[in-house]
Amino acid sequence: MKKKTKILTAVVIVIAIIAVFLGVYQAFGPKTQEGTKAYTVEVVASDGSSKTYQGKTDAEYLSGLMDELQAAGDFSYEGTTSDYGLFITAINGETADYDKDGSYWAIYVNGEYGQYGADQQPVADGDSFRFVYEASPQQ
Amino acid sequence: MTQEGADREKTKVPEGFRRKAPWNAAQGVRNLTEMAMMLALIEAVKRALDFLPNVELVTFLFLVFTILYGRKTILVSFAFTGIETLVFGSGLWVVMYLYVWPLEIVCVSLLHRYFPKDRDGYWWYCIFAALFGLFFGAACAIPYWIMGGPKAAIAWWIAGIPYDVVHGVSNFILCFVLFRPVMKAARKIGLGRNANRS
Repeated sequence: MKKKTKILTAVVIVIAIIAVFLGVYQAFGPKTQEGTKAYTVEVVASDGSSKTYQGKTDAEYLSGLMDELQAAGDFSYEGTTSDYGLFITAINGETADYDKDGSYWAIYVNGEYGQYGADQQPVADGDSFRFVYEASPQQ
Repeated sequence: MTQEGADREKTKVPEGFRRKAPWNAAQGVRNLTEMAMMLALIEAVKRALDFLPNVELVTFLFLVFTILYGRKTILVSFAFTGIETLVFGSGLWVVMYLYVWPLEIVCVSLLHRYFPKDRDGYWWYCIFAALFGLFFGAACAIPYWIMGGPKAAIAWWIAGIPYDVVHGVSNFILCFVLFRPVMKAARKIGLGRNANRS
């Protein structure tokens, strides 16, 4: 095979891989839902105390819902954006410092440990989210 | 095998780590200085492009340094992971970095064997950079597989596919644009080994 043909074939393969990846994302990636959705958000602090928020939102992702709650005034959060998405560092003024004591803010979705970060977690009608201050057992 | 032969066998070092005999302090200082310069440059461009998620020059620089300096670049990748840990703190990504960058360096070393001249390997390096970006998320999902099982790993990888596509495409473009001028400049000033392989 000529050198140019080999290179062209390789480029076509790369483009095909991109197409397959995007197809997989479309088929199996996080699905968002448009329109108004009912939600429950519970924040469980390090001392075990909890605070619950309920309402309706048009946000498609959890981070959007958190922004709405923050704008309403009774909820606050801080986070950093990295290559791996939004990493929550503090909620309602309580900072979880993994480097210091292995603590972090865990996200539970409808009772199960969340598979996505807050900026990738879709919001569906009736969803229940829990932010729980947890400590890593290794620390 | 004679005793002398056995001793020589024991002290055999892999390609890339091999040094000219007799070893001299000047060469050692030069090696250390080159590696420190590589690390500083990688760290600087990493910081400079941090505002653009998944657009980075680290892949490109490790590619160039591997061509120029061989597999001793692996040591630089470990130092890079160490510096990143000092800056950002430890996390699961440290484990990922410890095998992802050495994997790139090993792949580029193999590619360089087939294409010892820069101009012959140019397109293949661009294609490799694209593939490395595209599969970066999949490679990084391995610790999630070990810790949370296949479901968690696959979900994590799929959620990050748009980032991987950006990573792959940007890696290709950066390598396409920068490889030739950077290698030409490096060869001109005599950086690394095989300075005449342009």
